[in-house]
Amino acid sequence: MALKKDLSINYLGVKFENPFCLSSSPVGSDYDMCAKALEAGWGGIVFKTIGIFIADEVSPRFDIVNKEGHPFVGFKNLEQISDKSVEANLKCIEKIKKNFPHKPMIASVMGSSPEEWKQLAEMVTQAGADIIECNFSCPQMTSHTMGSDVGTNLELVREYSRATSQATKLPVIAKMTPNLTNIEGPALAAIEGGAKSISAINTVKSITSVDTDLFCSVPVVDGKSAIGGYSGAAIKPIALRFIANLAQYDKLKGVEISGIGGIETWRDAVEFLLLGARNLQVTTGIMQYGYRIVEDMISGVSHYMDEKGFNSLEDFIGKALTNLTGADNLNRDYKAPVKINAEACIGCGRCYISCYDAAHQAIDWDGEKRRPAVSDRCVGCHLCLNVCPVQGVILPGEIEFKEGRTKRPVTIKTKYE
Amino acid sequence: MSTVNKAPYLEEAVQPFTPRTAMEEAARCLLCHEPPCSDSCPAGTNPGKFIRSIRFRNVKGAAETIREANVLGGVCARVCPTDKLCEEACSRTGIDRPIEIGRLQRFVTDQEKIFGMEILKKGPAKNKKIACVGSGPVSLACAAALAAAGYQVVIYEQKPEPGGVLTYGIIPSRLPKEVVEQEIGRIKKLGVEFKLGAKIGRDLSLEALKSQFDAVFLGLGLWGGKLPALEGIDLKGVYSAVDYLSQAKDSGGRELAAERAVIIGGGDVAMDCASTAKQLGAKTTIVYRRTLEDAPANAAEVKFVQSLGVGFIFQFTPSKILGKDGKVCGFEAKGTDGESELRLKADQVIFAIGQAPEEILLSEKLELTDKKLIKINDENHSTSLKGVFAAGDAVNGGKTVVQAVAEGKTAAFAIMSYLTGEAK
Repeated sequence: MALKKDLSINYLGVKFENPFCLSSSPVGSDYDMCAKALEAGWGGIVFKTIGIFIADEVSPRFDIVNKEGHPFVGFKNLEQISDKSVEANLKCIEKIKKNFPHKPMIASVMGSSPEEWKQLAEMVTQAGADIIECNFSCPQMTSHTMGSDVGTNLELVREYSRATSQATKLPVIAKMTPNLTNIEGPALAAIEGGAKSISAINTVKSITSVDTDLFCSVPVVDGKSAIGGYSGAAIKPIALRFIANLAQYDKLKGVEISGIGGIETWRDAVEFLLLGARNLQVTTGIMQYGYRIVEDMISGVSHYMDEKGFNSLEDFIGKALTNLTGADNLNRDYKAPVKINAEACIGCGRCYISCYDAAHQAIDWDGEKRRPAVSDRCVGCHLCLNVCPVQGVILPGEIEFKEGRTKRPVTIKTKYE
Repeated sequence: MSTVNKAPYLEEAVQPFTPRTAMEEAARCLLCHEPPCSDSCPAGTNPGKFIRSIRFRNVKGAAETIREANVLGGVCARVCPTDKLCEEACSRTGIDRPIEIGRLQRFVTDQEKIFGMEILKKGPAKNKKIACVGSGPVSLACAAALAAAGYQVVIYEQKPEPGGVLTYGIIPSRLPKEVVEQEIGRIKKLGVEFKLGAKIGRDLSLEALKSQFDAVFLGLGLWGGKLPALEGIDLKGVYSAVDYLSQAKDSGGRELAAERAVIIGGGDVAMDCASTAKQLGAKTTIVYRRTLEDAPANAAEVKFVQSLGVGFIFQFTPSKILGKDGKVCGFEAKGTDGESELRLKADQVIFAIGQAPEEILLSEKLELTDKKLIKINDENHSTSLKGVFAAGDAVNGGKTVVQAVAEGKTAAFAIMSYLTGEAK
């Protein structure tokens, strides 16, 4: 029998059978889609953002970033919030809650005035949502009172969070934009305004590509384009950084975090959990591969927990935070020069090129035998290890302490895939 | 039930890459330091560099790399024994399988055509004329290099169409006619003149040629088919490989239909004969005197022939061809074990056991080797006749197209240094 661990978790006082949720986007924008997602195994839904403003979308509205023929490394969209009427969306939420009563429904909303936020909060509460997420961060909304600029304005975040929280008994999440230097300020403002949780990140403002024949960035809408939101695997590193910032910020201690940004695999999911997220949201992975990706997330996290002896997500949420410190606090007393397994080496010479052109000229190249050899110039930067195309050929060797430094045991990564 | 490849005779069998799949394949390339693939190309086509150009989205630059090194880049992309050259050297083999270099080269040369690129340019005119005898790969490469340097070049070809083995030998499934025409078209654009149906030694003497030109290049092929001295060898339906293949290509395959064909041999030419016979509808069997492992044919060609459903019988040597009313009706062979015997029904027996030069009647003064090949000075391709140079199959006894390209280029440079030396 396939292994399945208990992945259930309480988030904002609501029980989720697993932490995997659709994030507010086209992937959760009507009843049939949400029903299919929930049947596929998703733990909950953040419904596509509902507003008094009704979107009138452009065509086309997406672009992707490829890397050497590998598509969808990053994804740009120009979509706004829901293009359906409030009534239609509310009916949809009601129907989902009726047919899937144990699957939490998070209603994402966006208003353009305290009055609208209040109104929306009341309506989705009435419709049966379990949680409300305030969308302070959609880069495609163009007004100053809606969109990602709101998320950088402490006053507006506080005011809108308050208007929403005061209009409902439900817990409120504030969804943050990454288009700023420090996320802690707006996050704190949201909590001060009454929000109970922070979700991050929304999409990154971007231009993914420029059509070099049309002299226009992409997507091309009647010869013009606009800056849009970047998402997918490419933004995971940015998302993880903001999650860690939030989790390590003293003034936000105890505030629950929902992690968003480039989650495709169970490993991505575990990384977000290890940095303190207790709920996870996904869109781009679904846009590319469909709802079924949750199967391998559930299975993969289960196997990880089995390997590590964890019985609950609580056993490892935030477990990597204590090991995230300032660069000035890192141990600078030693180096880990590499060792090269010449027998397994296939002789491509990539390590030699990168070490010479970008590091310390510490690899000698035997052109006859087509084999590299590490010299004592190696500083242990591990550029070669990252460039080498063959698994396990270049690995960290013996630890060497710098002169005059005290020898002591150190922890280094030895397992590379 | 097993799947059999029904590739038609006149259609290219290998599917091309699309820009996207080409990029995927280029992304598999490790972009080696001092790429071993590049070191392994006789013609210096430099796959390490052109694949890197594909990877960095510079297909036009890739086309320049190929074309500047190899005027028959589109042909070699299709017919090179890559498994013994660049792909054998490929470092990626150490991980899983080599990069499909030949197919990537084909992608780039196809793109070159789509872009309408004219990479090779005629050099500043030089007041010297060179005649190239023969229009196969070696002559084409030599003529192109000379024309690119500004020399006036005339190619003399005894057959009605130019291209030699490309036109009259290699099967269309591997090398479509259009590709050969395109490559020759590029050489014509360089200003090379083609005189077709003109056989030197018959229509024009080598002496006359020498007097009209500042230098003469002999790029002759091996058009003498070898037939063993066997009982029944004169029966109708017995062919040498060169005759069989050129008749097939000449008629688009129409005149050579048979019920049961037996091919003798284990080289690329035998494979070409076998696929031709099979594609033209015959039940086809290859009989080879040694084992598959010993067979000199390119692995890709053997696989292709196998995929068509051609049968292989190893370690049998032909002993007799059976006939009826002057026509072939069967074939007998003896096992190399000294005991086994083989008797096959057949109405076609094709011997692909090597080619010989046609009797070279150009001049009594042209010195030949013991094997009746043209004798040259290895350093500068010069023959025993002053101002006459030679390279290719009639010198080396028959090698690959890419080898011919390489030799044609070096011969061109030898001719240039002869001509500039003479000018001093």
